[in-house]
Amino acid sequence: MSTRCSTTYSDTPPSSDLPVTYYTLALCASKGAFEAVPRPKLAVDLGAAKARLTAAGIGVTDARVMLIAAMEREVTLSRDGRVLIKSRDAAEAERVFAELRRVVGLPDTAEKSSPAGEG
Amino acid sequence: MSKGVMLMSGGIDSPVALHYMLRQGHEMTCVHMDNRPFTDDSPLAKVVDHLEVLRARYHQKIPMYLLPHGPTQVQLMRETDRHVGCVLCRRFMWRSAERIAIREGATFLTTGESLGQVASQTLSNMRSATASVSLPIVRPLIGFDKHEIEAVAKAIGTYEISTRPGLCCQAVPSKPATRSNLVQILQEEQRIDVDQMLDDVLRHATVL
Repeated sequence: MSTRCSTTYSDTPPSSDLPVTYYTLALCASKGAFEAVPRPKLAVDLGAAKARLTAAGIGVTDARVMLIAAMEREVTLSRDGRVLIKSRDAAEAERVFAELRRVVGLPDTAEKSSPAGEG
Repeated sequence: MSKGVMLMSGGIDSPVALHYMLRQGHEMTCVHMDNRPFTDDSPLAKVVDHLEVLRARYHQKIPMYLLPHGPTQVQLMRETDRHVGCVLCRRFMWRSAERIAIREGATFLTTGESLGQVASQTLSNMRSATASVSLPIVRPLIGFDKHEIEAVAKAIGTYEISTRPGLCCQAVPSKPATRSNLVQILQEEQRIDVDQMLDDVLRHATVL
């Protein structure tokens, strides 16, 4: 389980041909948000993800290496698939995470990787 | 005593540094760089509560400027090399504080930095960051270690506020530069319109 705080991003090339398991959402170290980290890392097409979020009527801040989506709670989606949900309520975070996966097309737990723009 | 501008983050260190400046009798104005959406509401709430504690302790008004920093972060992330992002970010914070200082007639800037504590606080990064301003910078905690700072924070009643749940800055790269080169930093800044960005920040300043 990841306890690392925030969606600090990496330039390490991700792998997309292995099964992806999102770890269970966990509070980050400073307990300010819930975080989910895919293993192995994804290669999320943030342009495609942004288009899908926008089409769903969700406001998006595009910071090149991450998107910040104004969903029920603000959500950060990093290029490597890391997700951070600004909520301290586990049920709310699960709900927002499920909605993000649905809208963007992120793989569900243990599904084959097919992030936005690759499937 | 002099008039100064203090950068307040919501963390453990800055209220302790402010405490020392106030204890010496300086007239302080605070600046908080609002990093949303790269953080949550907690840093601002913490700074507001820190100031409440220190205003009561020193019977001073201590005005605070709230400056939007999120749009600056977005532009830095989009246009510049992310490995030096923390230094570029700090340069904007210093410049913003200096603009407020000039507006307020203050003669120095202050932070809670202590040497080597985080990536942005190495000697070379501090030099690169502060080369962006000309006012003198006072760092009351520069030689303190974390335990010493925490002990003072507990004694003055700001520690509990600082350690409430919160969100770290999400704009921090996974491998931030710890040894920055000022020439490279200046080259990176040529990719953006620094003065225009600063004007935008100051235009949206609010005083709490």
